[in-house]
Amino acid sequence: MDTYEVFRRTGHKEPFTHCGAVTASDPGMALLLAKECFLRRREGEHLWVARRSDVHSFGDESLLQIGTDKTYRYPEGYRDVVAKRERARARAAEVAAS
Amino acid sequence: MSAALLGIVTALGDDELVVGHRHSEWTGFAPHIEEDVAFSSIAQDEIGHASAYYALAAKLTDDGADRLALGRDKDEYRHAILCERPNGDWAFTLARHWLYDHADALRLEAMEETSEAELRGIVAKIRREERYHLLHADIWMQRIAHGPVEGRRNLMDAVGRAFDDALGLFEPFEHEAEAVAEGILPVGSDGLRKRFLDQTSAELDRLGFPTHMISTADTEFVASSSGDLLVEEEAGDAVEHQGGLGGRSGRHSDDWSPLWDDMTKTYRENPGARW
Repeated sequence: MDTYEVFRRTGHKEPFTHCGAVTASDPGMALLLAKECFLRRREGEHLWVARRSDVHSFGDESLLQIGTDKTYRYPEGYRDVVAKRERARARAAEVAAS
Repeated sequence: MSAALLGIVTALGDDELVVGHRHSEWTGFAPHIEEDVAFSSIAQDEIGHASAYYALAAKLTDDGADRLALGRDKDEYRHAILCERPNGDWAFTLARHWLYDHADALRLEAMEETSEAELRGIVAKIRREERYHLLHADIWMQRIAHGPVEGRRNLMDAVGRAFDDALGLFEPFEHEAEAVAEGILPVGSDGLRKRFLDQTSAELDRLGFPTHMISTADTEFVASSSGDLLVEEEAGDAVEHQGGLGGRSGRHSDDWSPLWDDMTKTYRENPGARW
């Protein structure tokens, strides 16, 4: 028996999202069981199962941590850019006039 | 009110209610948690189908669906004896589920052409759910049939024990000749029985099970066409062969009385209660 991760989606334009897992002997059996465990109240219209051992991840999760300042990777890092530009233009005008 | 229609709807409702009740006895005890949910769900589906048939029967007789389901005397039920047999082990439950749902699929397919509009509507809805039941039964049969020898033998033995009883599903309905003449029943029970025998023997052959059991369920097993030599195990003790007939006229096996008692007890304690 293997563990199968179960994914479902609510509409054909929606992404599949993980909803749980079943224990089953093979993919056909996993689908059969997943239908009744995770789609019995019209929670979705499509179902995927994938053997957990076919899902790969980093062995060392600390690899995913970010140490230094990465605010430039976020929109928030650019929130005051308009004001900064205005001030720069004003300074440039002052320099040109003097 | 058509007595022929009522006869069919009652028998179909009783089949679904009783087999559904037996299935529901696995709730909390199925081989594993996911199957517990799946099989309980199938049990609920079957009882839901019974409810649809009883609603039509209640309309025809100006009665209540709950009373039809739970308020009748023992000998008023018209289900096939197969449905009332105790679950025994998982092998027998699976064999019964497989035989029942193949038989049900065949009669529902035929009934899509019934002259009775309301019955046609019920059948169309039920068939959608029955596709899953059939898939469930088939997948389980394949897994056990192609699995280790012990499970395979248990299942083979269980199919042999259930087969005669399954033929009781094709015992003629009350007023069947009239139902066929009026187009309520587009294919008679005998025709459906032949289709059932053809289909199940082909399926069993594909699973590598002996098909000899189909003609006389209690003779020795023979080699299947796949070349697998299958030796007969000791005779099973859980289920007796009674030919599986009698249910459609209310003559049930000894297994029915305790089941009826259990199934209808709450209703009989207070028949007027609203649920």
